[in-house]
Amino acid sequence: MATTELPLPALPEAHHEEPGGIVDYLTTVDHKKIGILYIFTAFAVFLAGGVLALVVRWELASPGLQAMGENTYNQVFTMHGTLMIFLFAAQVTTGLGNYLVPLQIGAADVAFPRANAMSYWLYLFGVLIVVSSFFVAGGPAAVAWTAYAPLSTREYFQGTGMDLWIIGLAVVGVAGILGAVNLVTTIFRMRMPGMTMFRMPLFTWGVLVNQLLILFAFPALTVVFALLFLERNFGAQFFDPTYGGSPILFQHIFWFFGHPEVYIIILPIFGIINEVIPVFSRKPLFGYRAMVFAFFGIAALSFGVWAHHMFATGLVYLPYFSIMSLLIAVPTGIKVFNWIGTMWRGSITLSTAMLMSLGFIVVFLIGGITGIFLASPPIDFAVNDTYYVVAHFHYIMVGGLLYGMFAGFYFWFPKFTGRLLSERLGRWHFATFFIGFNLTFFFQFLVGLDGMPRRIADYEIERWTSANVLSTVGAFLTGVSVLIFIWNFWVSIRRGKRAGDDPWEGNSLEWVTSSPPPSHNFHHLPEVHSERPAFDYRHRGDPELAPVKTDPERDPDRG
Amino acid sequence: MLVAAGCTPQSVTEEGRAVYGLYNLFLYIAAVVFVVVSGLVIWSVIRYRRRDDELPKQTHGNNRLELTWTLIPTVIVLVLFVFTMQAQNKVLDQSGDADVNITATAFQWSWRFAYEGTGAEVVGSPESIPEMVVPVGQTIRVKLLSADVVHSFYVPQTLFKRQAIPGTENLFDLTFEKTGLFHGQCTQFCGLQHPDMVFRVRVVSQGEYQSWLAAETRRGAAGQPGT
Repeated sequence: MATTELPLPALPEAHHEEPGGIVDYLTTVDHKKIGILYIFTAFAVFLAGGVLALVVRWELASPGLQAMGENTYNQVFTMHGTLMIFLFAAQVTTGLGNYLVPLQIGAADVAFPRANAMSYWLYLFGVLIVVSSFFVAGGPAAVAWTAYAPLSTREYFQGTGMDLWIIGLAVVGVAGILGAVNLVTTIFRMRMPGMTMFRMPLFTWGVLVNQLLILFAFPALTVVFALLFLERNFGAQFFDPTYGGSPILFQHIFWFFGHPEVYIIILPIFGIINEVIPVFSRKPLFGYRAMVFAFFGIAALSFGVWAHHMFATGLVYLPYFSIMSLLIAVPTGIKVFNWIGTMWRGSITLSTAMLMSLGFIVVFLIGGITGIFLASPPIDFAVNDTYYVVAHFHYIMVGGLLYGMFAGFYFWFPKFTGRLLSERLGRWHFATFFIGFNLTFFFQFLVGLDGMPRRIADYEIERWTSANVLSTVGAFLTGVSVLIFIWNFWVSIRRGKRAGDDPWEGNSLEWVTSSPPPSHNFHHLPEVHSERPAFDYRHRGDPELAPVKTDPERDPDRG
Repeated sequence: MLVAAGCTPQSVTEEGRAVYGLYNLFLYIAAVVFVVVSGLVIWSVIRYRRRDDELPKQTHGNNRLELTWTLIPTVIVLVLFVFTMQAQNKVLDQSGDADVNITATAFQWSWRFAYEGTGAEVVGSPESIPEMVVPVGQTIRVKLLSADVVHSFYVPQTLFKRQAIPGTENLFDLTFEKTGLFHGQCTQFCGLQHPDMVFRVRVVSQGEYQSWLAAETRRGAAGQPGT
C-alpha cells in the first residue's frame, strides 16, 4: 500500500537533537544548518554588493565626477561585480541546494557532512579575504571583475588588494569544487529506495547539473588565478607578448570558466521555477523529461560558447561560437514553453512565489532574447562592452537569479522556519522590485545602443543623462524592495502565520516532513512511485490520482 | 523593445549598414517572439486562475507539441545564423585595396593615429582629444595596436568595435559614407582614466583630406606631431 512506511535511512551516530545557538552553528555538520549559513552569508554579500551598485548609480546619475574620484569608482564597480558574481550568485543557490537536496531525495544528510562544513567555512574565509582588501594600503582591486591581463599584472596594477582578491577568490573556487563533489555524490548515492533519477524533483536536477558544471568550470578559474598570481608575484610571463606570452590566453581561460558560470548561476533557478509553477498551477510539470534533457543541453552547450565574450578581439573563429551560442535558445525555449504548458488549463494561485516566478519568465525572456542579438558577431561588434551588454546580463543575473531566488525564499521559508512570509508585504516586495528593476535596466539597452561604454565614471555626452537618471531612480526603488523583503523576514520569523508541514500542497518529499524538519530530516517516508511523492501521499487511496504501482522486484514481500 | 529600434544609431559606414539591417531583422523577430510568449503567459494567468478546489486534469506532457516548440526555435536561430554570416562577411571584408592606411595605437589613456607612408601622425592625451581625419567614400584600413594593456577602438556610429591587444595586429576596414565629426571611445576597461580615452573621427571631402594631410606631413617632418 502507498501508506506503508519504509525503514528510515541509517543515521550517523552524531545525529541527535541539538539545541540551536551560535556554538551549534559553528560546529554543525547538519546540511540544513550549513545551507542556512550559506544563504545568510551569501545574502550579506548581496546586500554589500547592492550598496556598491547604488554608489555606482549615484555617480552616473549625471555627467561629471560628483561623489568620488575615478579610482574609487573603479574599485566600487570592480567589487560590485566581484561580490555579486563570485561570492553571492553561485553560493546562494548552493545554500538552497544544501538545505533541500537531501530532503528532496529522502536522505538523512549529504554524503560527506564534514566536507560540507569545510566547504562552507572555506567559502566564508574566502569572502573575508576578499573583503579584507578594503583595509589594505591602496584599497581593493580596480581592474573590473574580469581582471583582464595585462591590466591586472603588477606592471599596471600594484597593491596588495589585487593579490588578496586573487587568493580569496581561489579559496572560494576550491570551496565550490569541494561542495560540488559532495552534492553530486549525494544525488547519485543517497537517494531513498524508489527515488530513481527520473523521479527526482526538478530542483534537484537543476542542482545536479549546476554542480557538475562547477566541477568542470571552477578548475579553469583556479588555473587562471594561479597563473595571474605567479605572474604578479614571481615574474612568470604567461600574458606578456614580449616574452612569448599572450593576453588573449587570459581571456580564453577566464571565459572557459566565465560562460558556464552563467549557467551555474541560472540552472538551480530554473529548478526553483520548475518546483513553484506546478505547485501553484496544481498540475504536474509539463514535459518532465524534456526539462531534464534541456538542462543537459544547456550544460553541454555552455562549454562550447565561451569565446562569444571575445568576438571583438578579432582572434576567435566566429561562425562556430556564433551558432553554438544561438543554439542555446533552443533548450531555453523548451523550458519556457513547458512552463506555459504547465500553467495551461491549470488552477493558478498568484502567491508571491508564483508572482516572482512569472516575473522571472518575463525578465528572463528579455534577457534571453537580447542574448540572441549578442550571439551574432556583427551585432556584438556594435554593442559589446556598452550598456547594452550591462542591461542584457543584468536581465539574466538580477532578473533571472533574484526573481528565482525570491520565489524560492517565499516558497521554502515556511519549510525552513515553520512560519509563512507575509503575502501582503510579499506583493509590495514584488511590485516595487518589478518596477524598480525594469526602470533600472531597460533604459540601459537604449543608452547602450546609443554607444555608452560600460565601466566609465563619467560621460561627456549630455543626451545619455535622462536614461541614467531613470536607471538611478529604478536602482533605488529596487533597494527599497529589498528593504521590504528584509522587513518581511524580520516580522514573519517572529509573528508570521504558522505554516504547518505542507502549506502549498507541494509535490516533493520535503513537504512530507515537519517544518522545520528534524535533524535527521524525516520521521517517516512515504513510498516513491512518481516524480510527485508528496502529491501521491496526499491523494493516497484515490486510484485515479495516485495509482499504487508497487515494484515487485524492489519490494518482493509486497504482493 | 520597439522603442529600442528608434534608438539604434544609423550607420555612417558602408560596413555598418549591413549591421543595421541585421539588427533590425533580429529586432522584428524578437518582438514577435516576446509578444507571443509573454502574451501566452498573461493569458494563462488570467484564463486559468484558481476558481474552486477541483483539481485540474493532470496532464504530464505532449510529445508532438514539445517537438514543435523545439523545432520552431531551431529553425529561427538557423535563419538568423545565415543572415548573421552574410552580414559578417560584409563587415569583415578586406578583399579590396585600401585607399588610406592608418596605424591606430591605443595607450593608457589616449590614441595615436599614424598615416602610413606619409609621416603624418596625430597623438592625443587625456586632456587633448585626438582626431582621426579621413576622406569620405574611401576605404580606410586601420591597423590596430596596443602599447600597454587591452583597449578597444569604438566609434558608435560605425556600429563596429575591435579590441587593441598587446602583441597583436588587428586589421579592419571602414568606409565612411557621410562627412561629419563622430565620437569615438575606448570600451575595454583599461585602468584609472579609461573614461578619458576619447577620440573623434572627422570625415571630410577628398580635397580637404589632401590639404590636411599635406599640412600634417610638413608638421611631422618638422618633428611636431599634431594633436
